[in-house]
Amino acid sequence: MVGLSEGEKQFLRGGIEQDLRSDGRTRHQFRSVYVETGVIPQANGSARVRLGATEVIASIKAELGKPSLLHPDKGKVSIFVDCSPTAAAIYGGKGGEELSMELSVALERCLLGGKSGAGAAIDLSSLVLVEGKVCWDLYIDALVVSSDGNLLDSLAAAIKAALSNTGLPKVNVVLGASPEEQPEVDVSDEEFLQFDTSTVPAIITLTKVGKHYIVDATSEEESQMNSAVSVSVNRNGQICGLTKRGGAGLDPSVILDMVSVAKHVSQQFTSDLDSEIAAAEASDE
Amino acid sequence: MRDLHLSLNQTQRVRLQAALDQLESYAASTAAAAASVTVADSIPVNHEDNILKGHGTSDLDGQVVATLCGVVERVNKLVYVRALRSRYKPEVGDIIVGRVIEIAPKRWRLEINFSQDAVLMLSSMNLPDGIQRRRTAVDELNMRSIFVENDVICAEVRGFQHDGSLQLQARSQKYGKLEKGQLLTVPPYLVKRRKQHFHHLDQYNVDLIVGCNGFVWVGEHVETSEKESTLLSDKPSGKQETDNSVPLETRRHICRIANAVRLLSVIGLTLTVESVTETVEASLRSNIEINEMLGSEFYVQTVEREAQRRASMVRKRS
Amino acid sequence: MGPPPTLPTSHSFSSPSPKTLQETKTPFEIRFALLSSLSIQNHGMRHLKGEIGVVSKADGSALFEMGNTRVIAAVYGPKEIQNKGQQMNNNEALVRCEYSMANFSTGDRTRRPKGDRRSTEISLVIRQTMEACILTKLMPRSQIDIFVQVLQADGGTRSACINAATLALADAGVPMRDIITSCSAGYLCTTPLLDLNYAEDSAGGPDVTVGILAKMDKVTLLQMDAKLPLDTFENVMQLAIEGCKAVAQYIREILLENTKQLESRRGS
Repeated sequence: MVGLSEGEKQFLRGGIEQDLRSDGRTRHQFRSVYVETGVIPQANGSARVRLGATEVIASIKAELGKPSLLHPDKGKVSIFVDCSPTAAAIYGGKGGEELSMELSVALERCLLGGKSGAGAAIDLSSLVLVEGKVCWDLYIDALVVSSDGNLLDSLAAAIKAALSNTGLPKVNVVLGASPEEQPEVDVSDEEFLQFDTSTVPAIITLTKVGKHYIVDATSEEESQMNSAVSVSVNRNGQICGLTKRGGAGLDPSVILDMVSVAKHVSQQFTSDLDSEIAAAEASDE
Repeated sequence: MRDLHLSLNQTQRVRLQAALDQLESYAASTAAAAASVTVADSIPVNHEDNILKGHGTSDLDGQVVATLCGVVERVNKLVYVRALRSRYKPEVGDIIVGRVIEIAPKRWRLEINFSQDAVLMLSSMNLPDGIQRRRTAVDELNMRSIFVENDVICAEVRGFQHDGSLQLQARSQKYGKLEKGQLLTVPPYLVKRRKQHFHHLDQYNVDLIVGCNGFVWVGEHVETSEKESTLLSDKPSGKQETDNSVPLETRRHICRIANAVRLLSVIGLTLTVESVTETVEASLRSNIEINEMLGSEFYVQTVEREAQRRASMVRKRS
Repeated sequence: MGPPPTLPTSHSFSSPSPKTLQETKTPFEIRFALLSSLSIQNHGMRHLKGEIGVVSKADGSALFEMGNTRVIAAVYGPKEIQNKGQQMNNNEALVRCEYSMANFSTGDRTRRPKGDRRSTEISLVIRQTMEACILTKLMPRSQIDIFVQVLQADGGTRSACINAATLALADAGVPMRDIITSCSAGYLCTTPLLDLNYAEDSAGGPDVTVGILAKMDKVTLLQMDAKLPLDTFENVMQLAIEGCKAVAQYIREILLENTKQLESRRGS
């Protein structure tokens, strides 16, 4: 996809070694993040996030549903990512499907926890209205509009921004007399409950190029990666999910080191993101 | 119109708007502003003049109509539309930077931001041994030792062939492979054709090549004679192993210059060696970190500086 | 994911966000009432918005909004033909188009496979419409890719896509013989209506989509999906053409402003 000459590759790798990347960033520095909320008025919440030339849109739609039998105390959340051909011609036709799937699954792993929903970064139990009867189903759809590396982190950031833009209508549920009877649901048009996003983690992807690893890689830098570790870290510094990609094997101690770096970087990034979200919400109103 | 994706605070927003308004007011006083057209606009002409219709114009019921967005230019009888944003329009003699995408028999094909790939024939470039002679089958087999796929090279536009393909040539020591640096792409309309497109920025030990096609190369300075010797040595890979690192000091300069180019291109200011070095110096003067050059504060400062520069130009003229 | 489980109540909940409750819930009668009191020509059109340069890596790109309908178009090229097999004619550019809808673009969230019949048809319509205005002969042996992405669908998506594509092509500096714009019109309760939104479109009346070459005053696209007396059809089509002209006027303004801005920043 990104073709670099031998000379450029060496320059890029040399820069990472010397802690001065091609655009002047250090290894652990993010590009500046730009957030805009409420971009899809038809959705319950939405946001557009730009990280350099990477641009993604996330939207949240909420529907009333029934909790699954296995987990009557949890709502349901599903994440779908789509890569628009506007980002690159290769995403046309079925070209983007593999990448879309990879990103969707990685996001689900990092944000939603396992099948049981245990350890989920989004509080699923807050979505339940009546245990075993009524809950919110959140559909998170994201779209990659323009791509210049680090899609996963931008998508996670966009989802977080969209969630904080989300207002769930207040619902009154009147249970029937007998358990078989269907409960009556009254959805308020006026009252909305803000979604609590303080626990939603940020994903930090560390891309290993040569001996060192960098955050927020551009697509040129990603073309030189030998492996990457994506760590989702919440505000309290807890790790909520982890994905390793790329063929090259990593020494376990290196992985631990990368995780601790990710944890460290996430603090700065989360606070930057939060202030951007707050600014976007303020200008949106 | 082009959305600025930077978070500006209130004062920055006001300052930026003021500077942009100033730029606009200077432009409004020039003829170019009045001559801006969009697709399908009629261009007023005096038909008695036997005008010649050039690029970006077409004939519709006797009217001259623009087929591009841009600025109407008139040279004697010729009327044409100078496009702004578009792909590169080659002219013979242009110096360009391109990327090899394919090695075909006796030729390399290059991506140069044109509507088709350009062709560099083996016979259109100096051989490594520097001797003028017929190209042999052995030379053809050795093409890979000169350029391989993805190599960034610098060449000159030779012209169009009968079949409509664009031919390049590289018949001088200054042309050839570019290494140890980074390639940036900017919209070609920001690059003006000038006498010089190779710049050796002595104080920074950096080479800046502003290709007419909008590909800009920023790399460590290479002595032309040295380049010759690397071309002469049959095993260039062996040499690269020995010194492949760019000194940190030079790398700082390369990145700073590259970010200056990025910034100017995002704002949409003309790219010349002067505007680039001026931006670099301004960033050094105000102690801006290299990556901060892409931030909002320096963006606003750069627009303000441009407005001041044009103000002083206007004052000088009057 | 299968469809959401059947709800324990009859209340099927489509959830507009608080900000747009008003717009999305407006029944067409309200607008109809407004319309009949005003002259149709100027007041049937929803709010228009165009923005150039939204995808930084593309050669040309634009966002176009008609009311709540919002689409992005990106143009790559003219560039070397990638798949020589697709080349029909050596003397002109190959134009390709792909239309896609975001999952979140419609009111009720659906997940549709890529390349279904509807999007294939719209891709074809957009391609043919744009081919009519691109001066393909000036760019032999090259290809132009147009990608349109619907972010939000509220009626008139194909019109919005064509308008966005026109802006994106102009931004990419692709030579065109004219500006192509599109607008739809319908006929409801004995009144011709301009630029139908989703609610009006699904009310059952005809939907006439027209695309015109604005300066030459020629129709390049005409689609209708219901029966209508001929003289009424004439009125509806005329209304749609008026709509196209209003869009063309707006697009010209945006392009001119953009051109002036680029030129003023570039300086001399």
